Amino acid sequence: MSASLKHAWFNLAVILLSLTAVGCLYPFIGWRANGALGLCGLLGFGALFYRKRKSEVVMDERDLLIEKRSALLGYTVFWVVYVLVASLFLPMFYGQNGSIPVMVVQWSVFYALVLFLGVKSLATLIQQSRG
Amino acid sequence: MAGKERADLTNQIRRFRFEHNEMTQQALATQVGVTRQTIIALESGKYSPSLILALRIAKTFDVPVEKIFQLVDES
Repeated sequence: MSASLKHAWFNLAVILLSLTAVGCLYPFIGWRANGALGLCGLLGFGALFYRKRKSEVVMDERDLLIEKRSALLGYTVFWVVYVLVASLFLPMFYGQNGSIPVMVVQWSVFYALVLFLGVKSLATLIQQSRG
Repeated sequence: MAGKERADLTNQIRRFRFEHNEMTQQALATQVGVTRQTIIALESGKYSPSLILALRIAKTFDVPVEKIFQLVDES
């Protein structure tokens, strides 16, 4: 398994863990359950997959191309969802005067990261499996 | 008016590997500086190499690059 493939699986596992933690805690502590998104900090350890070991090739031109395409797709999906949420859903919930709670803005950063990395990792897995 | 042409790339990497002491995919990958998955993708025609990679593969087998990679035009 290549380093980028391991990294993609790791990202998806951490994202799933974080969202599961939020979902499990929400019935008990309500909106405070979003604090479980702090588990996304584990994503930082993904860089360890790219350590150079002996003469092993960590990333080659094909991996770089796949990563580039996946990042572009992740960014596109994030942007489309962001525009939808910001222009449609938020005004519906919080009114047209623009007074969005600060916590919502904070959570949106984490959920945007989760969305971008989730889509990017999924795209990497699909492209790597296709060859 | 000429119709739209679509060029495909075919290769003989697998044949040359077997002709060179049955070189494994991993051995070829190490030789040219890519992962084994890239060699697999190349052999199955799912990935087109960069010029540098194509030249490295040709140098490994000590043959001109045209012997390994061929352009197939489909009209």
